[in-house]
Amino acid sequence: MPAFAKRKSSPLAAGAELRDSMDLRSENTGCSPQKRKLRTNSSPMKASSISTPMKRTSPRRSANANLNSLENGIESKICERLPKLRKSPVKCLLNDFTAKPNWNPTDAEQIRSVKKALHVSTSPLAVVCREDEQKKVLEFCKSCIEREKAGSLYVCGCPGTGKSLSMEKVKQLLLDWAQETGLEKPDVLAMNCTSLTNTSDVFSKILGKDQPRKRSYGSTSPLQLLQNLYSQKSQSSGRKMMIIITDELDYLITKDRAVLHDLFMLTTLPFSRCVLIGIANAIDLADRFLPKLQSLNCKPAVITFRAYSKDQILKILQERLTALPYTIFQPQALELCARKVAAASGDMRKALCVCRSAIEMLEAELRESSNNFNGSSIETAFFESQIDPHAAVVKKHEIDIVGIDHMAVALSKTFKSPVVDTIQSLPQHQQIILCSAVKLFRGGKKDTTIGELNKSYVEFCKSALIPPVGILELSNMCRVLNDQGLLKLGQSREEKFKRVTLKVDEADISFALQVYKYFGKNLLSKSFYADDKGLEPRKENLQRMALTLEYPTED
Amino acid sequence: MGRENPAEKALGLLRRRLCDPSFVFKPFSDSPDSNYSKLKFIISSSVTEACNNSILLLGPRGSGKIAVLELVISDLLLEFPDMISVIKLSGLLHSDDNCAFKEIARQLCVEHQLLFSKMASFDDNSQFMIAMLRECGLAHKTIIFVLDEFDLFSQGKQRLLYSLLDAMQSVSSQAVVIGVSCRLDADQLLEKRVRSRFSHRKLLFLPPNKEDMQRLLENILLLPTDSTFPQDYTVQFNAKLQNILADERFKDVLNTYINTDSTVNYLLKFLFRAVSNMDLVTGFLSLENFKTALSNVQRQPKLECIKDCSILELYILVCMKKLEIKEQNSYNFNSIMKEYKTVHDSFQTSDYYAQNVCLRAFEHLLQRELISFTDSRGNNQSIEFRPVKLLVSSHELHQGLKSYRSCPAILQKLMAG
Repeated sequence: MPAFAKRKSSPLAAGAELRDSMDLRSENTGCSPQKRKLRTNSSPMKASSISTPMKRTSPRRSANANLNSLENGIESKICERLPKLRKSPVKCLLNDFTAKPNWNPTDAEQIRSVKKALHVSTSPLAVVCREDEQKKVLEFCKSCIEREKAGSLYVCGCPGTGKSLSMEKVKQLLLDWAQETGLEKPDVLAMNCTSLTNTSDVFSKILGKDQPRKRSYGSTSPLQLLQNLYSQKSQSSGRKMMIIITDELDYLITKDRAVLHDLFMLTTLPFSRCVLIGIANAIDLADRFLPKLQSLNCKPAVITFRAYSKDQILKILQERLTALPYTIFQPQALELCARKVAAASGDMRKALCVCRSAIEMLEAELRESSNNFNGSSIETAFFESQIDPHAAVVKKHEIDIVGIDHMAVALSKTFKSPVVDTIQSLPQHQQIILCSAVKLFRGGKKDTTIGELNKSYVEFCKSALIPPVGILELSNMCRVLNDQGLLKLGQSREEKFKRVTLKVDEADISFALQVYKYFGKNLLSKSFYADDKGLEPRKENLQRMALTLEYPTED
Repeated sequence: MGRENPAEKALGLLRRRLCDPSFVFKPFSDSPDSNYSKLKFIISSSVTEACNNSILLLGPRGSGKIAVLELVISDLLLEFPDMISVIKLSGLLHSDDNCAFKEIARQLCVEHQLLFSKMASFDDNSQFMIAMLRECGLAHKTIIFVLDEFDLFSQGKQRLLYSLLDAMQSVSSQAVVIGVSCRLDADQLLEKRVRSRFSHRKLLFLPPNKEDMQRLLENILLLPTDSTFPQDYTVQFNAKLQNILADERFKDVLNTYINTDSTVNYLLKFLFRAVSNMDLVTGFLSLENFKTALSNVQRQPKLECIKDCSILELYILVCMKKLEIKEQNSYNFNSIMKEYKTVHDSFQTSDYYAQNVCLRAFEHLLQRELISFTDSRGNNQSIEFRPVKLLVSSHELHQGLKSYRSCPAILQKLMAG
C-alpha cells in the first residue's frame, strides 16, 4: 500500500525541505478518512465539500491513528512500523521547524504579526478540529433548505470551544453552497441575546428581518404576528428560508420559560420557514427548559462541542503559526501549553492567551538582557540554534525563540491564584487572625463571631509572646480581610456578634505560612495549642522570631 | 510679613507631598520589575500593536492601584497624544447595566465632542458604544476602560462585562479593559463565558518590603537640596532625619505600626500625623513625633476609661470579674456587694465604703459604659436588682490595672488568682 510506504520514509527524511514534507503529508491524507471514521463515527469526508487547506497531520498523530485502525488488517504492519515511527516523531517535528528560520524577536514588525496571529480576535482561515461539528450543522441546514421545511438545532459546549466561530463559517459555507446549487439564498439573522433589553424583543427582531415592512400594530405582539404568519399558507410559497442563529441562548430563560419555548415552537408551526440554531453553554438546556417539545416529538437536535484535547489545541496553535515564515516557539513549549490547558479546561482562548504571555516573557527577558549583554552574544546564539536545535534547548542565553521556561512562567502566572502570595505578604497580625480562625474551625464549626475570634487571637498572641491589639483594631483588620475576600463578615448590630467565616482553604493558609515549619514547629500543628508550659525559653524565642517577619533567619 | 519661617515652609511641603499620591508612587516607577513598568508595557504594547487586552489589578485597599494606574495613564497620554481615550467607570455607581452604558456613552460623547442625549435607551447606548469602538479601531485610537471596584460589576447578569469583552473579540475594535479590585478572587466571580473572554493577566499590588519602605520614607521626608530652603537648614534637617530613620527605636515604632496594616496608604496616614507633630520652634523632626503619632493612632478607649476610674470603681469591676470566673451567669449590684464584702473580709483592705457610695460608683460605671444591664428594657426594678454584665474584657481590665497610676496590690492579686 503506497500510503504506508511513503510514511515509512518520512521519519528518515532528515533535513527534509518543506515542500517535500508537504508532499508526503498530502499522500498521508489518503488514510485520514479511516481515522475519522473510527474516531467519530461520521461519514467519511468528501474531499471537495469543505474547503480546508491541506491537513498536515503530524507524524505522531498518524502513529496514534495507526494504532487505532485495526479494521484494515494492517496490525502486523503497524507492529513492525511502530518502533521506527516511535523513535523519531520528535525529530521529524523538529525537522519541520528547522526548515523555517527562527524569528528575530527584536523586530517590532515580526512581534506584531506574531501577536496578531495568536490573538483571539483573529479568526483563522480554516477552522480546524471542528470539521465534524461544522459538517453536521451544514448538513442539517442544507436538508432543511432543500426540503423547505423548518427545523431547530441546539449547539452546546464550554466557553472557548469554537461554537460561534464555527457558526460563522457555516453561515458563509451555506451561502456559498446556495449560490452554487442555484437555490434561493436564505436570509441569515445572527444575534446575540445579551444585546436584547427584553427577552421578547427577539421576536420583533425576527419579524423585522422576515417582513421588513410589516410592523406590529395595536395589540398584536410580534410573537402573535409571527405565529399567524407561519400558520397560514397564503404568502408562504414565495418566501425565502431564514436561518436564525441565536448566541448565548440562556439569556432568554425567564422564570416561566415562555420566551424560549415560543421561540422553538415557531419552528414547529406548519408553514414555518425558519431554521433555528441556538448556542449556549449548558448541555441539558433543551431537556430542562423545553420539556414540552419532547411530547410534541420535535426536540431540537443537539450538537455538543467538546472541550479541546491536547492534540487539538496543539494542532490549532500550529495552524495559526504556519502562516508565518519563521519559527517562534519551541515545539516542546507548545506541547506544554497544550497539555496544561487541555487538562485545565480545554478552552482555546486560554491557550492563545498563554502563548501571547510567553512571547511577552521573552520580550521582557530581551529587554533585560539588552541592558546586560551586548549584541554579539545574541547573534552567536542565533547561529548556533540554526545548526543544532537540540543544543539550543539547553543553552541558557538562548533567547530568540520562546522556550519551555518562558512558557512555564506564563502558565504559572495564568493558573496560579494570588491567594498564597497575598497571605504571605499580609502584615503579621492579619496572619495571626487567619491562623486563629483556622484553629477555631478545626473543630468542625463553620463560622464564629468576632468575639470568639478575639479570644482565640489573644491566646495565640500570648503563646507567641506578641502583644495583641484591641478589639477595635481586630475588627478593622477583619474588615480589611473581608474586603480582600479572605474572610466573610456577616451583619450584626454589635461589632462583637458579627459572624465570621473563612473563604480560603485551610490548606492554602498552611502552605503560605509553611515557612514557619523551618523553625521546627508548625504554627498550625495541633501540638502547638497543647499546654506549652514545658517549653524551653529558646524555642519560644524562635517561635516569636518566626512570627515577626522583619528579622532575618539566623539558623 | 518678612521671611517665612523655613520650618513652616518645610511642614507645608511635607504635608503636600503626603497628600499627593503621584509623588508618593513615582520612585517605584524606575525599576523594571515594578507594577508600574509592567502595566505600562502591557498598555503601550496594546496601543502600538493595535490589539485588544484586558488586565486585572488586585491588592488590598490603599496599596496604590489607582495611583499607579493614573501615573501610567498620564505618562501614556504624553507619549501617545491623540491615540488614547480613557473611560472611567466605578462599580459603586455604575454596577447597573443601564447606568453603565449611559455613562460610557456620555463619556465618549464628551471625549469626542458629540451631543449626548439623556433620553437614549439602553439599546441606543450599546449600539453607540459598539459603533464608537469600531470607528476608533479604524482610526487607530485605543479606548481604555478603567473599571474601578471590579467585583461589584460581577453582580447580576454581568451584561456590561460580557458586552465589553465580547466587543474586544472582534478585530475591528481596539480597547484595553483594566479592572481594579481589592478582592483576590475577583475573576472567580465572573461567569464562565465572561471569564473565558477575559485574558488572565493579573497584577498583584503587594505591600512594600523593607528596602522599598526605606526608599519611600527617604523620598517623602527628605527635603530637596535646591534653593527653596536655606542650605544649612536643609542639611541639618536631612542629617537628623537620617539619624532617626537608622535608629532602632524608630524601626520598632514603625514595625508595631505596620504589623496591623502594611499598605502604603496606612503608612502615609501615620507619617502625616507624625509630621504634623513637628515642633515649629526647633524646626526639625524628632523621634518623639513618631512615638506620639503611634500612640494617637493605636488608642484603646476602654483602657483609657479604666485609667480614669476611681479605686472603688476598680474594686467593683474586679468583683464583677470574679463573679464571672465563678460562673455565676447573672449577678446584680447586691451580689457584687456581697463579693466586695468577702474581699474586704479576707484581705482587710482599707477601701471599704458604704452602700450608697458604692451605688454612686456603680452608676458612674454605667454611665461610662464599662458595664451595662443585660436586659435593655428597663422594667420597674431598681438599679440594685437588675442584672448587669461587664463590657470590658479580662485582658483589657488586666492591662488597665497594670497601667493604673496607683493600683492597690490587692486588686492585681485578685485579678491574677
